[in-house]
Amino acid sequence: MHEAPKTLSSYREELDKALDDSFLRKTLDTFAVAYKANREAVFQQVNERDLIAKIAAAKDNAAQHMDELYEQFKREAEKRGVVVHRAATAAEANEIIARIAKENDVKKVVKSKSMTAEETQLNLRLEQDGLIVDETDLGEWIIQLRHEGPSHMVMPAIHLSRYQVADDFSKATGVKQDSDIQRLVKVARVQLRRKFIAADMGISGANFAVAETGAIATVTNEGNARMVTTLPRVHVALVGLDKLIPTLDEALNALLVLPRNATAQMLTSYVSWMDGAGPCASSPTGKKIMHVVFLDNGRSALAKDPLFSQVLRCVRCGACANVCPVFRLVGGHKMGYIYIGAIGLILTYFFHGRERAKVLAQNCVGCEACKNICAGGIDLPRLIREIRSRLNEEEGTPAEAALLSAVMKNRKMFHSLLKFAKFAQLPSTGGSQFQRHLPAIFLGKHGYKALPAIAAKSFRDRWKSIKPNLPNPRYRVALFAGCAQDFVYPEQLEACVKLLAAHNVDVEFPLEQSCCGLPLEMMGQRKTSIEVARQNIRAFDAGKYDAIITLCASCGSHLKHSYPHILEGTSGEAQRVNAFAGKIMDFSSFVHDVLGLTADDFVNKGEKVTYHASCHLCRGLGVKDAPRDLIRAAGEYLPSEEEEVCCGFGGTYSMKFPEISAQLLEKKLANVEATGATRLVVDCPGCIMQLRGGAEKKGSPLKVTHISELLAENMKR
Amino acid sequence: MSNVNPELVELFRTKAAVVGAKVVEAASMAEAARYVADVCASKDPCELLADEPDAEQGPLGPNKVPTRVKRIVAAPDLDAAAFGALAGDCEAKGFACIREGLRKHLAGIDVGVAQAVLGVADSGTCMVNSDDEETRLATMISEISVLILHKSAIRKDLPSIAADLRAQQSTGKPSYTAFITGPSRTADIERVSAIGVHGPLELHIILLED
Ligand code: SF4
Repeated sequence: MHEAPKTLSSYREELDKALDDSFLRKTLDTFAVAYKANREAVFQQVNERDLIAKIAAAKDNAAQHMDELYEQFKREAEKRGVVVHRAATAAEANEIIARIAKENDVKKVVKSKSMTAEETQLNLRLEQDGLIVDETDLGEWIIQLRHEGPSHMVMPAIHLSRYQVADDFSKATGVKQDSDIQRLVKVARVQLRRKFIAADMGISGANFAVAETGAIATVTNEGNARMVTTLPRVHVALVGLDKLIPTLDEALNALLVLPRNATAQMLTSYVSWMDGAGPCASSPTGKKIMHVVFLDNGRSALAKDPLFSQVLRCVRCGACANVCPVFRLVGGHKMGYIYIGAIGLILTYFFHGRERAKVLAQNCVGCEACKNICAGGIDLPRLIREIRSRLNEEEGTPAEAALLSAVMKNRKMFHSLLKFAKFAQLPSTGGSQFQRHLPAIFLGKHGYKALPAIAAKSFRDRWKSIKPNLPNPRYRVALFAGCAQDFVYPEQLEACVKLLAAHNVDVEFPLEQSCCGLPLEMMGQRKTSIEVARQNIRAFDAGKYDAIITLCASCGSHLKHSYPHILEGTSGEAQRVNAFAGKIMDFSSFVHDVLGLTADDFVNKGEKVTYHASCHLCRGLGVKDAPRDLIRAAGEYLPSEEEEVCCGFGGTYSMKFPEISAQLLEKKLANVEATGATRLVVDCPGCIMQLRGGAEKKGSPLKVTHISELLAENMKR
Repeated sequence: MSNVNPELVELFRTKAAVVGAKVVEAASMAEAARYVADVCASKDPCELLADEPDAEQGPLGPNKVPTRVKRIVAAPDLDAAAFGALAGDCEAKGFACIREGLRKHLAGIDVGVAQAVLGVADSGTCMVNSDDEETRLATMISEISVLILHKSAIRKDLPSIAADLRAQQSTGKPSYTAFITGPSRTADIERVSAIGVHGPLELHIILLED
């Protein structure tokens, strides 16, 4: 069993090791690419968004009625001869099950896969009583033989090669086993059949517990859950209280998404519905001895939390790991404790405590890939940020976050520090990617990319001289600059102003605006982040403009989607917040959707251009077509493989986990280079910093620019 | 008017094939019985995955365990007439045909037959009432599982069978209902798909005219 990381430095050492595991890297790469395509194909037949919304609503409703559903389930199940228990803690659940085993004189136990039993570490408890416990899911059996925990919720042994499995099976059977996968599977067929036959008790989990009929359902491909629940005379199901739902309809609806999301299947080979203790020839009474043990372990408290109750929507499909670029690099053992992936970072905090969660919770690059595919529509990236903020509240703020907070509270100080590059003298902060001269200790970690210099003259200082003066403008917009473009890449904003002015759009630049606050959020600095947000809203008189345009996708998605959340109930001016958020629009959408620019507006010189879809644009703001259409209008668009996968920047993430960031960057650049394009355009200065720095470092001639620059350079005059 | 929807039958056939089930048609129960006996005759001998003291043992199978000499077909949930027809066909070929006592043969049987209550076209799924332990075992410990599905019992999708599933669970007696979609499979080693890790190596579905 692996432990959760205790310190950032020990965690980074472990991550380094995982990055060196070339088998793991290759397997997860292949899987990630195949999964994406297969998932898309199986969702074509159904309305994905609609189904996910239904699951979310049904699970929310169930969580609010958890106690009633439990009572109803218990009544129905007891009518059918089942004994129903409720355990407040993991230890209590384990005790109940150990007692059932003892009362029934059980010696041998077979188990089908249950993440809940992993959560309670049930096997360890049963083994204390001298019971022989065998896992029967193939993947679970393999990791049991190796004394490891699962590295994925659905594919527990995905980190292992056939050769490792052959070794383990050779040891387990005392016979040398061939590494052919089909053969290995049959070794399990023979070995496990014997275990099924010999067992006195079967332990299963459940994917659903249906209150109306007292039925539980298991969803499997192998069919081991059917064996486990049929052959032995005793059956115990260990079920999280979050699995309770009112009726079969909710379960059938969820079944349209769960297998599609988990393994890109329409449906798994088997779904078994069990209500009541039916006939069982191996039982002395001729009837199955059946118990259902519900586990609370913090779930009923979670149900009452206005924000985190959505965690209970999780159906354990594992998709949030499947699409996570960090999981893809380091695997599940490094991307969770017992529960894996984005949901793992969150559940560890609630089920296994703050100590185990505090380092893990930092390892999210914030790319939002998981949010888009979650079967329960859980806002995973946001919840991870919220956990960081709670951890800071509980544990005190780390020095660098406190310093960043202190500086950002005062816009003038923050900006003058940036201007004079005095930030360079500060220790590690969220702003340090702007440093011209890095403190020596950071050089090693940032060796993989060249860092940009602070611009000689910031955009705000250039503004007076470039402000357009249009007598009868078509539109009136305001620019939200964000720190990176204001102080490092003012030319990107200038290109935007030039293009807009040429199309008779008046632009204003309110000087009181500051950092959007996202770096503060990423570091869990909620209080300062709220102050900064308020300051920005005050700086813009939203009513005056047709749109507030930003060229930074990260700022854009934060301003548009997070401001209403973080300011909820704190400012008493919801209307103003919503008016502000409602006006936020990214540059490409404004130029494409509002101005309606097309190929006719550009001189297309046939420049070969490829694209990186910034996480916060394609997922955060849901903008996909506008930038690609614009590239086609101004050049020759050469799509790149995995265009929507994160470049690894992630703001402060690239400082905390530089090794992972570097790997993501390398992959991205390899895909970009494979297109043969000479220019890469992006909608976000953070990505540009990462990608341009990476290209420079490699000595690549690739030109990395903002899409605004491509368009301004090629516009017809 | 027949209540068979040809489009759904076609969709079911396609989707079941995608997940590796073999779909065939039969005009009558008698024809279905003949198909089962033929399948049993043409398959490799069943491997004995565990000890079965009374079983006559043949040479070792591919997994280096002994094989069964007298083939076994189990069909616990057929009505007396249909079982009679199947038993006759089996006997003619020298196979045992049983409808109970499957626990004596947990080491594995050749063919298990069961009736599907209904089918789901979208995913190629059969719903089987397996409250009876013998029926359940027939679909689990057989090397080839054969399900008999009436064409008229094919529905569109999972949500449309809620009422049927509810009826299964509302008889006042304990129930055990299985959705079966293709044979037992796993991809737990290197994500490589493999069939038959625990249950049937093959799934055949006989679509029966009404
Ligand atoms: S959080 Fe969502 S995506 Fe992740 S396992 Fe749970 S349901 Fe699946």
